[in-house]
Amino acid sequence: MTHASHPAGELLTPHTLLVLRLLAAWRALFSLLALLGALAPWTGLLPGLPVWQGLLISVALGLAAVFSLLASRDILLRRHRGRMLSLVLDYLSLVACFIAVLQIGGVFLGIDALGEVFGRSIWFLFVVLAGYLLGAAGDYFLHDPRTEALLRQIGKWVMLFGALAFLVVANLPQGLLALARNLANPAGLGAVAGMVVFGLALWAMWRSPTALALNARTGHEQMLSGWLFLSPNLLGFLIFFAGPLLLSFYFSFTDSDAFNPPNWVGLANYARILNVTIKPLASPDQLAREVLDISVYDEVGRLKIGNGGLLFGAEDRFFWLALRNTLMYALAVVPLSVIPALVLANILNSKLPGMKFFRAVYFIPSIAAIVGIALVWQWLYNATVGYINYFITLAVEFLNNTFQAGLTDPKIRWVSDERTALLSIIIIAAWQTMGFNTVLFLAGLQNIPGELYEAATVDGAGAWDKFWRITLPLLAPSTFYVVSTTTIQAMQVFEQVFILMNPPEGPNNSTITLVLYLYRSGFQNFKQGYASALAWVLFIVIFGLTLIQFRQQRRSSIYEN
Amino acid sequence: MKSYRVITFLKNLSMYLILTFFALVMLFPFIYMLTTSLKLPADTFRYPPRLLPREPAFTELPGYPDKLPLYYVEKDGQRREFALVRSNIRIGTFAPPENPSAVVERFLSEVTPTGQSVTVNGQERELFQVLVDGQSVPMIQLSQTTVGEFVDPENPEIKAYQNVRLSQPVEKITWHFENYQKVIELQGLDRALTNTALVTILVVIGQLATSVLGGYAFARLKFPGRDTLFVFYLGTIMIPFVMLIVPLYQLMVLIGWTDRLAALIVPWIFTAYGTFLMRQHFITFPKEIEEAALLDGASRLQILKDIILPASVPALATQATFTFLYAWNSFLWPLVVINVGNEKNHVLTLALNVLRGRASDTPNLILAGAAIAILPPLIVFILGQRFFVESVASSGVKG
Repeated sequence: MTHASHPAGELLTPHTLLVLRLLAAWRALFSLLALLGALAPWTGLLPGLPVWQGLLISVALGLAAVFSLLASRDILLRRHRGRMLSLVLDYLSLVACFIAVLQIGGVFLGIDALGEVFGRSIWFLFVVLAGYLLGAAGDYFLHDPRTEALLRQIGKWVMLFGALAFLVVANLPQGLLALARNLANPAGLGAVAGMVVFGLALWAMWRSPTALALNARTGHEQMLSGWLFLSPNLLGFLIFFAGPLLLSFYFSFTDSDAFNPPNWVGLANYARILNVTIKPLASPDQLAREVLDISVYDEVGRLKIGNGGLLFGAEDRFFWLALRNTLMYALAVVPLSVIPALVLANILNSKLPGMKFFRAVYFIPSIAAIVGIALVWQWLYNATVGYINYFITLAVEFLNNTFQAGLTDPKIRWVSDERTALLSIIIIAAWQTMGFNTVLFLAGLQNIPGELYEAATVDGAGAWDKFWRITLPLLAPSTFYVVSTTTIQAMQVFEQVFILMNPPEGPNNSTITLVLYLYRSGFQNFKQGYASALAWVLFIVIFGLTLIQFRQQRRSSIYEN
Repeated sequence: MKSYRVITFLKNLSMYLILTFFALVMLFPFIYMLTTSLKLPADTFRYPPRLLPREPAFTELPGYPDKLPLYYVEKDGQRREFALVRSNIRIGTFAPPENPSAVVERFLSEVTPTGQSVTVNGQERELFQVLVDGQSVPMIQLSQTTVGEFVDPENPEIKAYQNVRLSQPVEKITWHFENYQKVIELQGLDRALTNTALVTILVVIGQLATSVLGGYAFARLKFPGRDTLFVFYLGTIMIPFVMLIVPLYQLMVLIGWTDRLAALIVPWIFTAYGTFLMRQHFITFPKEIEEAALLDGASRLQILKDIILPASVPALATQATFTFLYAWNSFLWPLVVINVGNEKNHVLTLALNVLRGRASDTPNLILAGAAIAILPPLIVFILGQRFFVESVASSGVKG
């Protein structure tokens, strides 16, 4: 940008020159204020501020101070970089002030009040919708301009009425009054003033005389609009996703409990999670306390081999039980929901009439709330009056009567039996994800060129050959996608277990899952540092599984090529 | 040629059979939910279970103040519907002490104790006066049961007596739609329903707005750092949400949003995923139209609003449907951030969680609650399924 330093200098009006000087001065002042702000957390003026928040404030404001100073110099030297930096800094400050106004003014918290009246006011939203439809109905009267115009006019008025009525019934006037009241204090007024000041600075920098004076080009405009368009998303993403993710990493090294300042504990959380031991057993039923140091370890499970065996102990037995259950769950759900889906997709791909209907029906379970689904299945699983046991009874009777099979009715106590509790969760999950996977497979199948099958038919290949040699290899990308997303979802199972099981851990911890344990640690025992460490371990497990599947898929596709 | 057609027919038939079987498996829990939600509580605990809601039928007869239950009664070799007018009528079986096999049945009210007794098989038994063919015969009582008096509703003169407990009641299919009203009023589901609607609407609108703007920037505007940032966005898509609950909860504690609906809305407005979907869609939009509009002096926002968005309705509808389902069905985050006791800020999934414990003796109400949570997304799905399923089929995305 150095080549464009001073080309249009002589064209500047005194007015623009003044604006530039004021803007440069503003940047210098901004820099000074930001510097003071950056030092504030370390002066003891803000007691009770956690260290990480202080650091965050200092880093952000410190950077702002440096860049603002740089921008001040750039403006005086008439470099466009100064304009860019100014716009970014003022924009961010404006957004910060705006959010502060919303927060101090109680707009976010006011949503609760809206919730109170929403039941009454929602009907007027339907009026708005009706108005819109009325206006849109004008499209059917293109041959009759007067009717069309009339419909559009009426539609507009209905919409306006609906919107106004909605706002009034939703207590907007009171809301605005409350907003004004909440803002009438130093912090609120400061935020409002900040919005005005930063808004003015932005406008002064944005307008075209300033832009010309600072040698703006179209590329710059595109860049600024790019960042501007992205900014709501990016800021929210940083605040509510990327930031918390980093914070979670930090918490996993602390003993945070959500309310007191966290203490750094290093790797202790991870060490506790991963601390396991395996001890040989003298006899298969030897007591755990005879071989384990029970001040540290608990028994997780044992492997019986002949007269002896192996005892698996861990410091945190719940984590390992949860890991075992979750892996078993995923291992069962993936084939149970993928293989039938593959079969169904192949049938649905056969261009017979009615396939779209079946496709939609199969999709239904995957859109319903898992909480609701779990409640329904809870009654289907009921041991005495549930339909599942009833069907089993009918089947047993049928087999006994027709084939003299001599079977006894198992009368399974699905969710309260340690042996079937996890299975009942698996069945629900397979039922729920099967349809979704079917649609995904169907998409993959429809991308396979039909000529391949025709060529294979000419070569005399049977249906079975075609499936194994054409369909399955060419479907590999879909299969990878289906299997990996199903696995990722299965590893996070929580809702079904939480609703269906009472207590959620199930009989004898048979349905404790990783996310359930995370929830219990973090939000029932409030060991949030530990829960964060659990979250990262879960992430690593999921990531590892995905990586394995990815490599598997790549190897098999290389083989196919 | 004919055998070929037969084989094709059989093949198609078996295909349809498999498809229908799976369709029934997929739909059965929903049908069960709907029919059970319309039952009476007692009906839900019946074995063997029945799909349709039934309840005992009643009739009114002159001379009886209350409604009379109807039962099936065997009368003259026919199975007929009779009304139960009196129950707990005691009947005894009597026989002469010298001939215990000559048994007669009489109402206890028809016999009178004689005050005398007789010894039969070493036991002392009381003697009753029992009328047989107009003659009073002393007899001993062998056993006693209770029966009900049933009458023909059309002709109350025709009577029948049989054991009430062993009689099959006449049932008719009735749909108890008031269950829905009950569950809404008793369990405060109305508030949860409007809260869920509010949260969902705001999340859908907010998320569409930010993803459209962000996706447009990623697809169409060149700025330094764009591609790096996009890769970064892509990378975060596979990060599971549970990674965030702890820090996000602490963030909510910090800014005082715990227990507030805002916590259910604002964090979900900004998604990498939606932005990615929108970007994938916008990038297919022909550049030339946009460039022509730019030359005509339109601003970027105008181009987006007037040219690109009207042409993107299917993509927007798809994303709106996805977001709707996600927001409507979410449970873990509301469970974490909204207090169990704070029922006025509950969303449906939370209310169902409470209802599950509170109404465990009335499955019909629980399933009515579940239906309230499940039906709106189902309706949205049916309306939007043209876009939705097609788009899953074409882009392969997971909700």
